[in-house]
Order: sequence, then structure tokens, then C-alpha cells
Amino acid sequence: MELRYWGGDWGLPSVHPECLVVLAYAKFGGAPLTLNPVDYTWASSQGIVPILTYEDEIITKPANILTFCRKHKYNADYVLSAREGSDTLAYIALLEERLLPAIVHTFWVDSDNYSSVTRPWYASRIPFPLRFYLPGKMSREALNRILVTKGQPPLYSMNEVEAQIYKDAKECLNLLSNRLGTSQFFFGDTPTTLDAFVFGFLAPLYKARLLKVQLQEHLKQLPNLCDFCDHILCLYFTEHAEDG
Amino acid sequence: MWRGGFLTMSLVTDAFVSQIAAVEPWPENATIYQPLKSEQVLLSDNASCLAVQAFLQMCNLPVLVVCRANAEYMSPSGKVPFIHVGNQVISELGPVVQFVKAKGHSLSNGLDEVQKAEMKAYMELVNNMLLTAELYIQWCDEATLEEITQPRYSSPYSWPLSSILVLKKKLEIKRKMKAIGWAGKKLEQVYEDVDQCCQALSQRLGTQPYFFNKQPTELDALVFGHLFTILTTQLTNDELQEKVKNYSNLVAFCRRIEQNYFEDHDRDSSSSSSLRLPRGPTLP
Repeated sequence: MELRYWGGDWGLPSVHPECLVVLAYAKFGGAPLTLNPVDYTWASSQGIVPILTYEDEIITKPANILTFCRKHKYNADYVLSAREGSDTLAYIALLEERLLPAIVHTFWVDSDNYSSVTRPWYASRIPFPLRFYLPGKMSREALNRILVTKGQPPLYSMNEVEAQIYKDAKECLNLLSNRLGTSQFFFGDTPTTLDAFVFGFLAPLYKARLLKVQLQEHLKQLPNLCDFCDHILCLYFTEHAEDG
Repeated sequence: MWRGGFLTMSLVTDAFVSQIAAVEPWPENATIYQPLKSEQVLLSDNASCLAVQAFLQMCNLPVLVVCRANAEYMSPSGKVPFIHVGNQVISELGPVVQFVKAKGHSLSNGLDEVQKAEMKAYMELVNNMLLTAELYIQWCDEATLEEITQPRYSSPYSWPLSSILVLKKKLEIKRKMKAIGWAGKKLEQVYEDVDQCCQALSQRLGTQPYFFNKQPTELDALVFGHLFTILTTQLTNDELQEKVKNYSNLVAFCRRIEQNYFEDHDRDSSSSSSLRLPRGPTLP
């Protein structure tokens, strides 16, 4: 199994939330991935990453890749009861609806963060001349997605939409923090799918050196979520944790 | 922006709304506006309307149901249903829950922090999967679009406005599907998603009467709105209905809420009369 993904930095194995979800789950489930970071090649030109290739099959999107891993016996969820499996699905919906828009906004739409952190990072890993085109395209797609899904009346201006998505995201972080409590992982002592998703979404936000930090500051005020990220980095990604 | 001359509420004005909402008690003449029941309303809109009605019933707040062909255009968010309480207009379940809470009525006060997180998570699951699947089936499945959605959605208007409005709405939904990555999905995959969602809800509900045991919450209202509508709506085929019927505890759950919150209500008000689960094959 070969995974194409955006590479690591800031003490993380990948800077891209969805790639990080897949990497974390593969570690939890013991899936042997051949890692193939996007690096100065033309193959990334479609911009769809992460991609898992296995024999003739090509799988995109984290949820599909995780299902594929489970089918091939690399399952981190066998400890879960049916009810916990349902909870996992529900919390992932919560993360995608409430938290992800603000994270995407923080990295791809906020102009200060985008021009000082995100664009330079991605541009340096994309070949000339695509580096002048692809990051901008990804940024426009991110903005479009936020506007189409969140920017409906009565939110008419971008400021109102931003206020709303950041409010939702902060509330979501609080809910996650309450749900995690003092446990090591979301369902007891072993990490599962939900842990992979939460880690994937939170770790870049936690580790990146951003200029606009409103969501990051909020995350840093929730020590159990920060410890959760550190703990997973330390247990499963030791080689990256050191240089962070 | 002003619509219909009422003071519209946006989520951003939460603080302001809670202040003024708290002062006034729930008025006698509170009204819920929704599309025409028999000839206009679509599956997804009916689900949302029913969810808000169920929620207000559960809170024991009386509300008059008014059907208007232009409800969608009267609503401050362009979505049905909306409620008109005093001098305020609030649309959709989330804001209605917040507004009612500011008035001192809440169904989820008794839950602890973890349960609240769980409730929000399952509500997002329903919105994320069931609602999106309903919209997909209505607007992206050609057979349903042609046979059901188009004639119903355009029913109050004459040509050419009818065609323009259908096209406008269809493009809006397609744009949304594309943005969330559903554009390439096949109908089969959408049914699978619905099944997965129902399975999760069924397992979460288990043998309890409501999702958080004895007392219903806004999650129960939302789930009821969607599942009851799916169970009682005739589409081009029965596939969607069958997905829900596979889970007998969910069917029983819908019937329980119908009996507890809608049947008594029917007797003293003739406004909501077409709420009835078909008796027979679904009963164990």
C-alpha cells in the first residue's frame, strides 16, 4: 500500500489535516504504508491528496482510506462496541461540520496566515510553474466551500460568516475537551478512528506558527486536547516529535 | 436585510436576541410558517418543519401552524420553517432552540457536559447525512426531480417563473453537492449513507424510549422530523423508506413521539392533521 501525502514539518509527520488522519490511523491499526510525500513532482498536479494506491485500486478521501484499511485487517476499531462505533460516526460529523471550516479558514483563507505560512510551505513542494497556480487554486476552493456551505442568508458578509464559523469551532473544541475529559484516548486506552480524526484536525493547528492565532489560542487553553496531541506524537511519531 | 417587515434574526446577534427574548413570555399567538402541505412541500422541508413542530410540542409551547406558498421567501434565512413570536422571526431548528432557551425553556438542561457533546454530535450526523441525502435525492436524482420535485416545487407559480425557480434551486443544490464532494456520488452510495446513519441512530437509541432515556431533547425532535417524513412520504420508489423500516426501534420511536406529542394535539387543533404513520406492515 502506497500513500501519497503532503509531507511533514513543524514537528508533525504531515502538515495537512486529512493526510495526518490517514497517517495516524495507519499507525494505530498497524497498516504497513509505503510513504510517498508530494515533493517536486508533476504527479501532484491534480491536488487530490491523500491518495492510497494498492495494486490496481486508487482510494481518495480519509474516510474511504480508513474503511479500506479496516477491510484489509488493519483495524484499530475492533475494541469498540456497536454503540461506540455509532458515536464515532456522529463525532466525525460534528468535526467536519463545526471544526473543519474554521481550520480550513485559518490556513487557507485568512490572508496573513495564507501568505506567510501556508502558501510558502505548499509552493516549496510544488514544481515550477505550478507553484504559482496550485496554492491559489486550493485557497479559492477552500473559500468557495466555506461560502457555499456556511455563507447563506442571514449571513451576508464574509465577516459574519467568519464570526459564525469561529464561534462554532470554539464550541466544538469545548465539546471535544469535555468529551475527552481525563482519558488518554476517546474510547479508553487504545486509539481508534475518532482519535485519528481529532488528532489529524487539531495537531496542525496546535503546532503551526501562525500569525492569526484566535483558534489556536483557544485550543491552547484546553490542556487536555493539547496533551492528547502531544501524547500521540510521542507514542507514534517519535522521529517527528523530536525536531518539533 | 429586511424581509417581510419583521425584525430578522441572524446568528450573529445572539446576545442581543437573548436579552430581549428573555424579557417577554411566550405569547399566545406564536406562529410557525411552512409551505403548503399537500401540493408543495418537499421531503427535506417537511422534515425540517416537523422537527421544529415536534420541538415546540416537547417544550409544551403552543404554536399556530400556517401554510403559505411563499414561506421560503418570507423566511429570513430563505429556509423553512420559521416562527413568528412577538416581534421576532426565527428560522430553522438550531436558532429556534437557542431562542426558546433564552425564553427559559430547554429540553437539554438536564444533560451533563458529555451528553451535551453527544447530542450535538448526533444532530450534526443527521444534518450531515440524512438532510444531505434528502436534498440529493430530491434535486440530483433525475427521476425524482422530474416526477416529484419539479411539479411540487413550482406548483404555486405559472410558467416561466416556475421553470426559472426550479432551475435556480437546482443549481444552488448542485453547487453545494459539488463543494462537499457529493457531486460524483451515485444514488446507491447515497442510500448506503442513509443506511449507515440509521444504523448509528438505531444503535445509539437501543431500547430506550428517547435518545437520552426518559426525556426527549432537540435531538429526538430532529430525528423524528426526518425519519417520520421519510416513512410517510411516497417517492418514486420505496428504497429510502425501506432503509428506515429495517430498524424496528426507529419506527417504534417515531410512533411513540407521534402518539405522545401529535395525537392529543390533533384533537384540539385542525391545523396539523396529516400526521399519521400508516398502520400495518411496520408493526411487529
